[in-house]
Amino acid sequence: MNRAMLNTRTALTPSLIVIVGFLTVCPVVMLVFGSFSEGLGAFGSFTLEKYIRSYTDPDFAGIIVNTVIFTIGSAFVATVLALFLAYLNTRTNIPLKFLFRIISIIPMMIPHILFSVSWVLLLNPSNGMINLFLREILSLQGSPFNIYTLQGMILVEGLLDLPIAYLIIAPAMAAFDVSLEESSKVCGASNLRTLTRVTLPVLRPAILASVILVIVRSLASFAVPSIVGMPGRIYVLSTHIYRIIATGFVADYGMAAAVGMTALATSITLIYLYRYLTSESEKYVTISSRGYRPTVIDLKNAKYPLFGIVGILSFVLIVLPVVVLFYTSLVPYSMVPSAKAFSMMSWKNWVEVLRDPISLLSLKNSIFLGIVGATLGVILSIFVSYVIVKVRTRAAGVLESLSFLSFSFPGIVVGVGFMWFFVQTPLYATIWSLLIGYIATYLPYGIRPLSSAFVQIHSHLEESSRVCGGGTLYTLRRIVIPLLIPGVVSGWILMATMFLRELTLSVVLSRPGTEVLAVQILRFAEDGLWGKLSALGIMMIFISTTLVVIASLIGIKLTRVENDRKRRQVSV
Amino acid sequence: MKICIKSLSKDYFTEGKRIKALANVDLTIPANQIFTLLGPSGCGKTTLLRCIVGLETPESGEIAIGEEIVWSKEKNIFVPPEKRGLSMVFQAYAIWPHMNVFDNVAYPLQTRKEPREDITRKVEKTLRLVRLEGFGNRPATKLSGGQQQRVALARALVAEPKVILFDEPLSNLDAKLREETRKELRSFLTELKITAVYVTHDRIEALSLSDTIAVMKDGCIAEIGTPKKIYFDSDHRFVADFIGRANLIDGKVTAVEDSYTIIDSGIGTIACLKNPDALPGNAVTLCIRPEFINVMKGDTRDGRNIFRGRVESLVFVGEAYEGEISIADTRLITRIEPTAIVKEGDEIALSFDPDHCFVLSK
Repeated sequence: MNRAMLNTRTALTPSLIVIVGFLTVCPVVMLVFGSFSEGLGAFGSFTLEKYIRSYTDPDFAGIIVNTVIFTIGSAFVATVLALFLAYLNTRTNIPLKFLFRIISIIPMMIPHILFSVSWVLLLNPSNGMINLFLREILSLQGSPFNIYTLQGMILVEGLLDLPIAYLIIAPAMAAFDVSLEESSKVCGASNLRTLTRVTLPVLRPAILASVILVIVRSLASFAVPSIVGMPGRIYVLSTHIYRIIATGFVADYGMAAAVGMTALATSITLIYLYRYLTSESEKYVTISSRGYRPTVIDLKNAKYPLFGIVGILSFVLIVLPVVVLFYTSLVPYSMVPSAKAFSMMSWKNWVEVLRDPISLLSLKNSIFLGIVGATLGVILSIFVSYVIVKVRTRAAGVLESLSFLSFSFPGIVVGVGFMWFFVQTPLYATIWSLLIGYIATYLPYGIRPLSSAFVQIHSHLEESSRVCGGGTLYTLRRIVIPLLIPGVVSGWILMATMFLRELTLSVVLSRPGTEVLAVQILRFAEDGLWGKLSALGIMMIFISTTLVVIASLIGIKLTRVENDRKRRQVSV
Repeated sequence: MKICIKSLSKDYFTEGKRIKALANVDLTIPANQIFTLLGPSGCGKTTLLRCIVGLETPESGEIAIGEEIVWSKEKNIFVPPEKRGLSMVFQAYAIWPHMNVFDNVAYPLQTRKEPREDITRKVEKTLRLVRLEGFGNRPATKLSGGQQQRVALARALVAEPKVILFDEPLSNLDAKLREETRKELRSFLTELKITAVYVTHDRIEALSLSDTIAVMKDGCIAEIGTPKKIYFDSDHRFVADFIGRANLIDGKVTAVEDSYTIIDSGIGTIACLKNPDALPGNAVTLCIRPEFINVMKGDTRDGRNIFRGRVESLVFVGEAYEGEISIADTRLITRIEPTAIVKEGDEIALSFDPDHCFVLSK
């Protein structure tokens, strides 16, 4: 190895630490300073007033209670559903098992704000479609359901976080040693006793991990509290912060920062608890028996009813939101599907959206952020993952902790922190402030797939290429890059879809001129323009899907070039 | 308590193929014995055990434990495992990782809702029996493999079951520990006078532990007998070969004497232990184990069961040499004393012990 290369290598880690450190630590530091400052204009002038004002607010206790009920309720709903689905999938003979994979992945593709909107369209008390329908056929006076309640918020958030819970619980369920249950039965325990004394306790680490992660997610959630909670005047921490900076006479970023400290501290504590629990779960590793195939439980008569529940769940999670939005985008006002509704359908909402300059601007901005942001984000992720996986010095360890730190930061809080920072710079109110904020918040989404790609490139693979006579560049081109492409593609897809739908950070950072799709959708929702909202929402889903398809095709094409070369060489 | 199994069948499907795990098995396991199901992997021994305990549902047949029928296709009886009152030690012990040693062992008593003082007393007594006194508060997964094995055994013994089932319980232990545990197990079980059904693929385990061995092959019971009968005088070619190192020689019966059957084979005339089923003219296979082929010292006389052969290879395995000797076209394995002065390529004389040469009838 020559000297120049050694130098670039040694310089790489510190410069990455500076960049990533800036991206993740800067908003937190600014948040802390901001919370002790008078206001955006008077940064650095120390005062405790904001804390006193925020925490003596008579509404504050109620908000905390709401937040606790909302987060724990969502965690309960998501985890119980995930346990149910994982059990059916891994341990019973339920038909069409591929559905479970779909349930666990597809809902991540539907933006949370649109999912929440579709539930509002179905269950809001004034003109929700299910309510209208039931009122009609049962000739009721009032609406039977009201989504604008804590229960409604918990239902929607729980369904949204189901995939996360499922991805934690399903592997634990699959790795479960069935002989633990069998021996309980042989010892004379009934099915119920086996479930409560053996199965659930052994799965406890996974269950707790799922509960904590969903609590963190729902604490950071802004889509559901804003779309479902705010119309019913039910505020949680994230919407309380939003209310402080976006509504009322004066936006008080100091108070927002002071309130944000609570959310941030809670979130960081929970993530540490989560880490502790996942490391603690190693204690539960038992000698696993080899050989005997776990018996699949025959559901007999319960098979089709249970499958029905799974079918309904997948319908509700995947098909329903898109159908409801598409239908709403075509009708002039909320109505139950009927002959009359179909006769009144038109593209009016679509045309209006495409003529609305702000909607068009938000489309342009979001596409720019999606493509450029994801590309820059992936490039940064490649370097960071390389250092984390391949360099492995103590500094690389620091980089790793830094780059995953933002997982535990609630988006709106990071947004407030960045606000305090950008105001001091010329970047304020430009699209670049959003771009930087996005990359900072979603860096782990790029690093995860890329570091697992780097893990696959064992140093022996590079070394053997060198021994075979391939130079550094040749090795990079023929060995490293081809093996890296799948990681690059999935990192890019994850980041691009996240950026395209980004809401929580954007509601703080987006200014006139830098509107993005999700913020525009939130404006439509606040104004009750459901038809336009749905049209824009469907466009958002369409663009997001198109980006995913194009990226996957490019990925396939790039790997195929390498395979074709191999094939040609074999035939020669 | 004795266990009666009548024409039990069980199939299962792997990759679209139907595999007969059990094919019409008829078996009576006598009470208060250590009964071993021995066979290569895939022979159906574990399936049979799991059918007895109720974790597996057979396709047809009947299982009775003592007087009670626990499974019958015809009579439409299925007693679930928790109602059968059996105990089982699993291959990987199935120690519950979230409980300490005491709770693991107390579990069967707790399911029977016994009073707390009784539970404490019985658990302590059982832990003393398996030499785990004072381990009650330890987390079960913090124990060594051998100790976990004894926790599993204590859990199986604590409720004083009439029948205890073992599914290869020693296969996760290292060789030395396995030997010790085997001896312990033997002394526990003979002391307690209970029926034990033991599944293993390890022939030494089966021979040293059992009162009776049933050798299984392809879902059927091939042969049942005491360890000595199975080792020294098995009827089946498969069993003779599986239970130990064996030289199998094909031949034809030429005469039947008072105590020996005379067989003509590729290496000459061999006198074997008399087998009433082998009549003159029958084509048979005879079996002689390496330790009963002796290398003769000094000048050799010709005589009954004495053959000359060439040493093809000689491998030192510690307590002896393992030699490969060719006589005519037949290759035999022998056990040669480490003190013997023999080297590869030597012509030597061998004698077969006629009392340990036996005819395989099937």
